[in-house]
Amino acid sequence: MKRREFVKLGSTSLIAGCLPVSVVNLAFGGTHDDFSFAYISDSHIQHIKGNKFVRNWDQGLIRAVAETNLLEPKPDFVMFGGDLAQLATKPELDHGAEMLSALNYDVKMVMGEHDYYLDLGEYWSELFGPQYYSFDHKGVHFVVLNSILTFDDWTYDRWESGERRMSEMAGLDNPNGSPFMVGEKQRKWLAKDLKKVSSKTPVVVFSHSPIQKIYKGWNFWTDDADELQALLQPFDKVNVIYGHVHQIQYNQLGNIAFNSVMATAWPWPYPQSYAQAASHLPVLTVPMNRADPFDERDATGWQFMNMHSGRADLSFNLYSNQNRKVAFDHEQGHPVDASYQADDARIAPQKHY
Amino acid sequence: MKFRILVGALAISLCLGGTAQADEFADEELARWMDQFEQVAAEGRRLWTSPELGTNGVACAQCHPNGANTHPETYPKFQKQLGRVIEIWEMINWCLRNPLEGEPLAADDPKMVAIQAYLAKERSGVPLNPGQH
Amino acid sequence: MKFRLFLFMAGAFMTLPALAGDLGLPPLSIPADNPQSEAKIALGDKLFNDARFSTTGEVSCATCHDPAKGMTDSPLVTSLGINGLTGTRNAPTVLNSAFNKTQFWDGRSPSLEDQAQHPFLNPVEMGLPSHDPILEIVNSDEDYKSAFKAVFGVVAGEVTMDHVTRAIASFERTEIGGNSPWDRWYFGGEEDAISDGAKRGFQLFLAQGRCISCHAIEQDHALFTDHLFHNIGVGINNIQPQVADLAKAFLVAKAAGLDVDVAVLSDPNVSHLGRFVVDEQLSSLGAFKTPTLRNIALTAPYMHDGSIATLREVVVHYNNGGVTKEGDSVNSFLSGGIRPLNLTDQQIDDLVAFMEALNSAGQKPQQAMITRDNGTARTAMADRAPSAARGESE
Repeated sequence: MKRREFVKLGSTSLIAGCLPVSVVNLAFGGTHDDFSFAYISDSHIQHIKGNKFVRNWDQGLIRAVAETNLLEPKPDFVMFGGDLAQLATKPELDHGAEMLSALNYDVKMVMGEHDYYLDLGEYWSELFGPQYYSFDHKGVHFVVLNSILTFDDWTYDRWESGERRMSEMAGLDNPNGSPFMVGEKQRKWLAKDLKKVSSKTPVVVFSHSPIQKIYKGWNFWTDDADELQALLQPFDKVNVIYGHVHQIQYNQLGNIAFNSVMATAWPWPYPQSYAQAASHLPVLTVPMNRADPFDERDATGWQFMNMHSGRADLSFNLYSNQNRKVAFDHEQGHPVDASYQADDARIAPQKHY
Repeated sequence: MKFRILVGALAISLCLGGTAQADEFADEELARWMDQFEQVAAEGRRLWTSPELGTNGVACAQCHPNGANTHPETYPKFQKQLGRVIEIWEMINWCLRNPLEGEPLAADDPKMVAIQAYLAKERSGVPLNPGQH
Repeated sequence: MKFRLFLFMAGAFMTLPALAGDLGLPPLSIPADNPQSEAKIALGDKLFNDARFSTTGEVSCATCHDPAKGMTDSPLVTSLGINGLTGTRNAPTVLNSAFNKTQFWDGRSPSLEDQAQHPFLNPVEMGLPSHDPILEIVNSDEDYKSAFKAVFGVVAGEVTMDHVTRAIASFERTEIGGNSPWDRWYFGGEEDAISDGAKRGFQLFLAQGRCISCHAIEQDHALFTDHLFHNIGVGINNIQPQVADLAKAFLVAKAAGLDVDVAVLSDPNVSHLGRFVVDEQLSSLGAFKTPTLRNIALTAPYMHDGSIATLREVVVHYNNGGVTKEGDSVNSFLSGGIRPLNLTDQQIDDLVAFMEALNSAGQKPQQAMITRDNGTARTAMADRAPSAARGESE
């Protein structure tokens, strides 16, 4: 369908139908295009045995792929935000890759810890390529980081096997875990990569861990967040998109807007719901809705991002909950939830969780 | 007369006896019993993170790290998935059956007791709020 | 007097106290702008049965919602309108529809009052080009003139479709019934009210069958519906490869002014899109409203398209994990709650036995023998005191 046609049909058109929200029409002043990309994340494909995988997680990913294929106008590409597998096994990565192959678009991958710690990403890289890289698209500079690395001794010396190491890292609340980080090697690479980018160019960073320090007990954490944020500081417009947390979070720190993405597999509690430890959820965040936690598709889904004026607006397409939109508000200078930001606009399931 | 005084004296001597009565616990007993609770709660933690409760490898901790979002302090409450007011053990069974694709446990099964002990421990200090959603 | 005061004080939506005939039902909400009265109900009953409101003079609401057939047209797969025209959908029961939060399989009507106006205009139902033929009749027929005057205080010539639909809705609000054998056992404590098989079936309903996830019940009443819309793999399985194109084509047509009511009943592919045609959400593709299970044994065949003939086959569809033929692949938009159930044959029989225990007191196949004149529509209310559902005369 031609762009001119759908604009003519107005807001109740095809666009409003197949997309959760209408396309944003902000003028760019000629320097950048508007464009969109889809983001699917955290599918956690989990192998049982033989040909059997945990059905619930499979269905979450299958549905995301099928719905993403219905998008109109088509997204420029699809990001997969990490944790394709649960224990990084070959059957899991293969099965996940197979499901992703049904997408009708170019797919780019982000590494997650559940893809990595069995063999340090060796098979994943065979399937998907480099673990960190950058690319430019329509005037925006995109960076993909492998932000789930950790200290060398935990990675190489602590565990007797890859399986053991993976199962230890697989437990979110495992006291034997180790904090995520990007590490010096990648930070050096990033500094060099960003040197060739003008400060006026919008920068989008895709990462699995949050590039913030939210709650260490559940590894909602990037240990070198401060160093990374410093590297991104010279740029006017930076967006960090991260997965891992399986919940809606967003924040603005200086020039950097942070947005988490939803998982297709299962949602996680907000760290404040753990009574025995303190945590720092980004204050702007309006919690996701979870009226019926027993619905298998509760608080899961995928998302769709509009890049306009160098900012990312996220539209969350949730299977069993109200769709949400978190858009960058130019007046307030940070992301804002389109429906629920005001305190008195909250609904019951948000007050609870 | 003499007999009555004798009984009185005997009674008084009994009242002034120095040995512990049935309703006094010694500190060591309190510590021992708390330790026994901690053992059961630790077993609950082990079950919480293990794939042995279901048949598909999923563990409770995958969706409920540190038992978060189980809200034991809100039970008993109406639970939509069972259509009536229930206690938390019935909801634990719902999870064993559904996301974990396993078999339910009896309310007094040691595993069920251990799981509840672990959840309550991770929720210590939170006030009771029964019925709350 | 006191009762009338109570009714007025109850606010925008009044609820009526539950009585024995309603064992297992929640209190019924009556909208404040359409209170019940004996006369209004009788008028609604008359309108409901009036076949003159169709182009051929042969089709009334009762044609597809027949009191003798559980207020449906069982065993028809899809309903027959004027000239034997078929639509795409199976007639849902009017019984207990007063408790639905939306009407129609896709919930496109928010109320009984709204729903009543649509079938008159649908080309495969009553086929009228507009409501004018109805208004002409109700404004000229002597019986209608006096009835509308008595009920609404409106003079002949000024009766509108609003009056007509309010009367019909009022009648439909008496088509409720609980007190099934299961209610008497579960809420009433009568140990022998249902068979052992039905009791086992009910336990399966709650546990291994997972039925209660959508066919919800509560502590002191049971409607067996969550009022939500779910894709359970009926209909949409047939159009999987074309979903993208169908969805797009539909949205374009809708934006251009397509009549949704006409489209869903004339094109099976549009019909299978389900709730999506109303809210245009991707998560509603192929999703249909959870119907009540009350009186379900009377309303075969099943599903929005009548594609499943018996209750046993319905259970088998769920047991297969959302496909009618075992081994077919599930559609990608399947509701998360649908999965293979691993039920044995005995367990499937037990679930059916449970569902067969949900017929409201007074609703039995024998009802087919009772004629119109002695008020078949109200036999479900035989043991109810007259004043409750009927309120007081206006």
